[in-house]
Order: sequence, then C-alpha cells, then structure tokens
Amino acid sequence: MAQTSIDPVGGYKFGFHKPENYVFKSRKGLSPEIVEEISFHKGEPDWMRKFRLEALEIFYKKPLPMWGGDLTKINFDDIYYYIKPTQKKAKSWEDLPKEIKDTYDRIGIPEAEKKYLGGVSAQYESEVVYKSIQTTLDKKGVIFLDMDSGLAEYPDLVKEYFGTIIPPHDNKFAALNSATWSGGSFIYVPKGVHVELPLQAYFRINAANMGQFERTLIIADEGSFVHYVEGCTAPIYTTDSLHAAVVEIFVKKNARVRYTTIQNWSTNVYNLVTKRMRVEEDGVGEWIDGNIGSKLTMKYPSVYLMGKGARGEVLSIAYAGPGQHQDAGGKAVHFAPNTTSKITSKSVSCGGGRTSYRGLIQVMQSARGAKTKVVCDALLIDDASRSDTYPTMDIRTNDTQIEHEATVSKIGDEQLFYLMSRGLSKADAEAMIVNGFIEPIVKELPLEYAVELNRLIQLEMEGSVG
Amino acid sequence: MKLTITNLSAHLADRQILKDVSLSLLTGKVYALMGPNGSGKSTLAQIIMGNPAYEIPNPKSQIQINKKNILSMKPDERARQGIFLAFQNPITVPGVSVGNLLKTAYQSIHGKKPKGNGVVANPALSVWEFNTLLVEKAKNLGIPQEFLGRAVNDNFSGGEKKKLEMLQALTLKPKFALFDEIDTGLDVDALQTVARTIMDLKRQGTGVLIITHYQRILKYVKPDFVHVLVNGSIVASGGYTLAKDIEKNGYKKFIGNHSKN
Repeated sequence: MAQTSIDPVGGYKFGFHKPENYVFKSRKGLSPEIVEEISFHKGEPDWMRKFRLEALEIFYKKPLPMWGGDLTKINFDDIYYYIKPTQKKAKSWEDLPKEIKDTYDRIGIPEAEKKYLGGVSAQYESEVVYKSIQTTLDKKGVIFLDMDSGLAEYPDLVKEYFGTIIPPHDNKFAALNSATWSGGSFIYVPKGVHVELPLQAYFRINAANMGQFERTLIIADEGSFVHYVEGCTAPIYTTDSLHAAVVEIFVKKNARVRYTTIQNWSTNVYNLVTKRMRVEEDGVGEWIDGNIGSKLTMKYPSVYLMGKGARGEVLSIAYAGPGQHQDAGGKAVHFAPNTTSKITSKSVSCGGGRTSYRGLIQVMQSARGAKTKVVCDALLIDDASRSDTYPTMDIRTNDTQIEHEATVSKIGDEQLFYLMSRGLSKADAEAMIVNGFIEPIVKELPLEYAVELNRLIQLEMEGSVG
Repeated sequence: MKLTITNLSAHLADRQILKDVSLSLLTGKVYALMGPNGSGKSTLAQIIMGNPAYEIPNPKSQIQINKKNILSMKPDERARQGIFLAFQNPITVPGVSVGNLLKTAYQSIHGKKPKGNGVVANPALSVWEFNTLLVEKAKNLGIPQEFLGRAVNDNFSGGEKKKLEMLQALTLKPKFALFDEIDTGLDVDALQTVARTIMDLKRQGTGVLIITHYQRILKYVKPDFVHVLVNGSIVASGGYTLAKDIEKNGYKKFIGNHSKN
C-alpha cells in the first residue's frame, strides 16, 4: 500500500515519546482528566484526544438502553478504564478461580496458552509463528497491528476511517469505548490481496486485544479477502466486569471479509459490543459470532449493504446457562439494489438461562431487488430456561424478497431416551443434541475452534446437570 | 448370562399395559415375541431398556441380569450392562452423524470410565480401529459408507433406518438385543440381510428377542423359543411350531382364551 505519512513524534501533542516498560494505571472511574491521561500516556495525536473527550460527553448524556438485558447493576465508577497491559500479568496462576483452571485442564489447553488465557501472562508464546506470518503479510503489504500501534504508525489511514461507521453517538457503549479504547486490531489489506490463513488475534505479540475496551478497524481494499478470528473457546477469566468493544469493518468493491468471534468471558462480565460492516459493490461481509460466556451479552453484528450486489451474512450462536442472558442477533440494512442478506441464529438455553434473538432488517427505497432471509431457531433444555424473539422489519420498497423462519424446540424425552439407550449419560446425550443443533454454524468455524466448542458445550451441560 | 423378567406390570397414564409378564432370555439364543397390534410388545421392550415414561407400580416386578436387579437403572446404565434396543421408530437427531453417535456410544459402553473428572476417557478402541470396525460392519449390511456421515435417522427411508439400527446392534456388541419390528418396511433382500445379521449376533453369543406381529422374518431366523403376548399378558409359549401355527390361524384362539379385565 502507499505509505501514509509517518512522523510519530511530531504528530503528538506533547512531543512525548512513550517510554518502554512504563507502567500506568488510571484511577477508578471516568472523568475528562482520566481520558486526557489515557491519551497522553499513549502519546496520541491531538485529534484522537479530542475524539475521546467528545465521546465522553456523549457517554454522559446518553441514557442506558431501556431494552435488552438488565444494565442497571453496572457501576461505571468502580472500573479502571485504563491499565497498561504490562501490569495485567502481575497475577499468579494460583490466583485464578478453581473452575477456570479445571476447565483449562479438562479442555486440554497447553500450559503456555492457559496462562495467557488466564490473564497471568500478557504474551502468548507464539512469537516464532507470529514472526513468520508477519513476514508473509509484510511482503503482501498487509498491515496487521494492534490498534494503538496502528494509530501511531498509520495515523492518516486510521483517521480516515476510525469512528465513521460506528460514531460515538451511536449508543452509550460505543461512546464509552470511543472515550476509553485500548488495544484491539488494525488491519489493512491492499487491493487484490488474498490473505490465505485466518488472522488470529492471539498471534500478535502485543496481546492487548483482550482488553476491556478494545477497538478493531479492518479495511479490505478492492478485490481483497481476509478472515479474522478473535477470542477463543476457552473461558477468558477477567476481574473486569465490563467489556465494551467496537469493531468497524470496511469491505470495498469485490472484497470479502469474514469475521469470526468466539466469546467465552467468565460469567461476571457484561459484554456489550457494537460491530458493523460497510459493504460496497459486489462485496461480501460475513459475521460468525458465538457467545457462550458472560453474564449478559448484547451484540448484534450488522451489515450495511451500500453498493449494488453487496452481500451480508450473520451466523450467530448463543448459549445461556444458569444466570446468563445472551441478547444476540444481527442487523442488515440494504441501501443499494440487488443486495442480499441472511441472518441465521441458533440459541440454546439451559438451567434457567435466557437467550433472546434481536434482529433488524431494513430495506431502503433505493434497494430494489433486495433479498433477505432470517432464520432463528431456539433450543430449550429444560422448563426453567427461556427464549424470546424480537425481530424487526422495516421495508420501504415493494420490489424485495423477504423470508423469515423461527422455531423454538425443547429437547424431547424420546431423543434423550434414544441416545441414553446407546449408553450416553443424560448430560452427554443433551450435549450431543445441542452440538447437533448448532452444527450448521459450527461447521463454518476453523476446525480447532469447532472441536473445542463441542467439548465446551459438553462441559457446560455436565455442569448444569450435575 | 440370563436376562430375567419377573411379574412385570406397567402403566402409562393410568392405563395398564403389561400384566404380570414373566420371561427370560439366555445369551446365544433367539426368541420371538409375537402378538397382535397393541398387545404391549413394544412397551415390554421399552421397559427393559428403561424408558422412564412407564410406571411400574408392583414392587414384585423385577428385571434382572443374572442376579442383578436393573429395574432402577437408567437407560445408559442398562446399555452398559449389555442391553440394546432397536427402535420400532428410530428417532431423528439432527446434526449428529451416525458415525459420531456410534463412536460415542461404543466408548460409553466399552470404554473405561475416566479417572477424576477428565472428559477424555481411556478409549476402548482408537479412532482408527473404531472406524475400521464401523466401515466393515456397514459393508456387511450393504450400508453405503456415505450414510455414516449423515445425521442419525434424518432423511433416511424406513428400510434404511432399520438397517442403521441393525448396524448399531452389530457395532455395539450387546449381550441382549431387542429388535422391535425390525422387519417392517424391509424388502426381501433387506429382510434376508437383517436375518443373517441376527444369526451372526447369535453366533457371537448375543441373546436376541425379535418382536413382530407376523411371521415373515421367522422364515429366515428360526427362533429357539416363541412367546405370544396378548392384552399385556403372555398367553402361550413354545417352539418354532407355535409361530407357524400363528401364521396359519392368526391370534384368534389366544384372544378368545384370554379373559379381559
């Protein structure tokens, strides 16, 4: 790609050069001073500092959403909004809750990876792998950095796109993220370049992507392809109770981006994420979104189909066990003619857990010949569990084809008896039925994720039954 | 080994379906349980397998393997004791392949229980060994290998489902196998294959109970014993000649003999 002007020192307001190994932790709570401090410590350009401060004002003004899950228990004053990643590993393996350690053992995760996932180590020991991938990417002109480095090294490119499809005033948590963001990924794929291997967040040396307020920006230039994978199936333990991320993706003409997430936060976390893709002419944007963990997730990956013939797809899996609420789904907004979208949602509620499908299909008058299909299937494991569907359709042209299918089913006694007669315990039988139910989406995942997800569902079912 | 059913009475939603049924099965023998529709044949099979839908109010009712009472065991525990039931109407499990079900089932029945709370038990067979076994058994039954990758009982014909039940019986190597109307919906070729497989099971030492309301399959598998169930009670027991008699004369005389309550 064409190099953007890089002048890391000159671009910073304070002419401040970030020292190595500098440890900084903001005070608890939010204030303009804290936001200023965050920006200062990161040595950001002035426009980003202003962006953050404006976002903070918007955050203060916006009320909490009155729909979705119960957000009233979030105490915004009791949160550290910025901790330099180096400080996060000052925690020992022994400090992790026993359930988390047990689960790592039972899934069979290698030691190094366990410590990373547990937040004990801030670096995943895959530097060798990372470096060879990085060399390949460099040759193709692909940029793959953490967001902070992306801003430092490519400020003009970042400025052009950052906050343009998810502006701070979009919603309260997008505003919070805009004010306090740290970490996340920055990816630029040049015209016509196909990145063959999925880019995985944990192949980066700076593992700041697991932060509370990460921010990801992906730009796929014309005719390019990239598959980005974030998160992992193993539970991510964090003492932080709020995760509010923003992901913005630009799919240019004829390009294709697939973004895969497996979210398994520990069950104390509020997971409130805004994800949006803007898809130009004949481009393809795909979200594969799996939500297993967290106390409450509110997440509706969106595709904005701006160019004619653009396609968007959302595949969503949600699993809610005891005490969990997964409010998930997807949005597709058609602006251009002959655009197509498909949203497939599969949710499983178990042990009193609650899942909600929430979706929006909007077809503008300009989107003649648009096609859209929504399929949402819910599976209830027991009578204590709950599932709701909140589909919204706003269709402003007659020339369009719309399909909507929704089913709610319960695991049948007959199915259970059949599988148990084959020697499977009740928990194994239920896990098998659940895994079969989500199979159409799981088969779209990279193999290792699919295998781990199946094993994880099995563990969850054992836990909820025993 | 011996599977013994003693004084078994069963209710479903206040309706009595079985009345004081007693019978026993030995490993390595073939039994036929005959009777008109609605006589309680399928219920008996379901109860032996442990379907929790039925009530068993009589405290004298027992199902034993040798001296062990299995009546309080769950279906999976009974499967591990060596009981297998081929369902009259096999149940669909979307998204779960035949191969995956059988691999998991084989491991559950024949694998050692995992130590502690690990997920991965000591495998009874390696994945490779198991696949070899499964492919071979499928071939014996004339089941295309491609079926093993398809979802359990999903979009299969009636006859194909029956063959897949047969495949499960062959693969899981039970001590006692109950075949509930395995012969319905099968053409002659398939019927002969199924019959041959039952004889294979018998030779391997499995005790087989064939549940049927007509005699067609018994032409190909000669049972060692025949029991006739009418209105929830065993009304006649005998050898193969009993089955031939039923083919000729139907169930009329048994229905007449049996006092209704």
